[in-house]
Amino acid sequence: MIKGRFRLNAVTQRKLEGSLFIAPWIFGFIAFIAFPLAYSLYMSFQRVKITASGIEYTPVGFQYYREILLADGGLLYNDLIPFLRQAVIMIPVIVVFSLLIAILLNQKFWGRGWFRAIFFLPVIFSTGQIIQEFITQGEGTLSFVEQFAIAEYAREYLPDSWATPVINVINSFVLVLWYSGVQILIFLAGRQTIPLSVYEAARIDGADPWETFWKITLPGLTPFILLNLIYTVVDLFTFPSNPIIAKVNTQNYGLSSALAWIYLMIVLLFLGIIFYFFARVNRASHQR
Amino acid sequence: MEKVLNRFKNVRFDAPRRQRWLVTSRNVLLGKEADKGLIFRLFMYLILIDTAFIYVKPILYMLTTMVKDAANLLDPAVIWVPRSLFFGHLEDALRLLQYGQAFTISMTVSLSVAVLQVISCAIAGYAFARLDFPLKKFWFICLIFTFIMPPQATILPMIIMFKEFGWINTYWPLIIPAIFGHGLKGALFVIIFRQFFSTLPKELEEAAKIDGASVFRVFFRVMLPISSSAIIVVFLFSFVWNWNDFYYPSMFMFGTKEVPLSISLSRLAASLAAEAEQAGPSIFAEPIKMAASFLIILPPLIVYAFTQRWFVEGVERTGLVE
Repeated sequence: MIKGRFRLNAVTQRKLEGSLFIAPWIFGFIAFIAFPLAYSLYMSFQRVKITASGIEYTPVGFQYYREILLADGGLLYNDLIPFLRQAVIMIPVIVVFSLLIAILLNQKFWGRGWFRAIFFLPVIFSTGQIIQEFITQGEGTLSFVEQFAIAEYAREYLPDSWATPVINVINSFVLVLWYSGVQILIFLAGRQTIPLSVYEAARIDGADPWETFWKITLPGLTPFILLNLIYTVVDLFTFPSNPIIAKVNTQNYGLSSALAWIYLMIVLLFLGIIFYFFARVNRASHQR
Repeated sequence: MEKVLNRFKNVRFDAPRRQRWLVTSRNVLLGKEADKGLIFRLFMYLILIDTAFIYVKPILYMLTTMVKDAANLLDPAVIWVPRSLFFGHLEDALRLLQYGQAFTISMTVSLSVAVLQVISCAIAGYAFARLDFPLKKFWFICLIFTFIMPPQATILPMIIMFKEFGWINTYWPLIIPAIFGHGLKGALFVIIFRQFFSTLPKELEEAAKIDGASVFRVFFRVMLPISSSAIIVVFLFSFVWNWNDFYYPSMFMFGTKEVPLSISLSRLAASLAAEAEQAGPSIFAEPIKMAASFLIILPPLIVYAFTQRWFVEGVERTGLVE
């Protein structure tokens, strides 16, 4: 009897301690995430008027949603569709490139420390105004792209709606590299989780590096590929220079809130699709 | 003569020797394992140096452009290395950015947010990794949601909310959320700490608990001191990202003269653009912008140069991820 009560006490005490630790975060979540989110959902159905005495709300129902989704293409679709196309191309490029660089950086070679230091530079600069300056400065292009007229080929062999985003990605290829800082980091960290002994065993069994990569490194890195996909999507979609995000402003609270909510749904949908495909690919590769 | 030729022929067609020679040369070129050979090495260095150059080039461009005076800017023969050094643009940028003031603001905000986020996110991450509390799964989903949610979804209500509190045009909207483990990319930092703490051996805490230490003692005396690698990673990320962040300050501090450097830079760029519209493009706009950019990235660059070694190690050891 006594024992049972003591155990219960220990469990409650543990929960109490845990609650104390998490309490600040939960308070922050409610104050800075949940409440504003609910508030913005509420505002998206209202016409908001800021006056000197306070804020006036007039319910308008789904008017703003209808306006954005059905009536006025300029608010969402004109920016969203090219952006989505570009994202669809950029995301795999970023992930593959960062995987390649992470694997190279993981080798032991002379000057590794220097290269690592340089490759982490994007982590430092890829946020904020500086990257914006680089874009306007025209550092985004690679000279060989112009030399070989890659854009011309793309225009010739791809349907028009896809050629433009492909060309955009090629033209801003340097930016793609600049976006890959954290992804390289994640892959590097992930690579450390595969124990060295596995590689030694493979070498003793006579596997060549090519096989080792496909049979050991890549399967070992699958969770990190998913993580990087998520990170890249989140990063691309929340980048402040993103065309839709720039439209969320204080000029029309109701309309902007509706836009923000639609955008949030799109981000969630995009991530949902990635999760779905990833689960399928994962299952398929396990069955094989 | 005949003899010599014969010997030469013998050597050339001496099969085992040829084979040996082939094997050695193959080993040198391709390596006993494919990742050790000369060709692979060359290829690897080629890719790495190329990409590294892409990363370094804008910085080099920035450095060389900002020290060019009018003669160097107009001289078509000068592309990278200016003939003389000119620091006038740097002075202009210092003045136009109101560097002293903006620097102090940026430093105060980024440093305090970074320190607060390290502490609060470590506490939350530890709770998610090791402690038990009601609805843990639900709150974890909330954490993931916070991570993937675009900040724009909550920005407008937050502006209204902070206006009610009278915090608009002060630093509080940037700093207060950090106390609670939120703020810029707060969720990511909580996740990093959670991953880090869940890789540590459980025995450490158990030993401390058996010795009668409370959960707070365990956390602050045992867990925090050994998590320096995670702390460095989070601190550097938080400091640099807050330093560079433009979005939150532009939303919360739009109407004040005392702004952090990121806003100061965009104001500078805007005023230069306006000037160009009125008086035609000036050759000095570019070097001044570059000098301003340089002044802004200099502090994080210095911080990075000092913490770089621990940072790289820390990233590997944190296991950022499972």
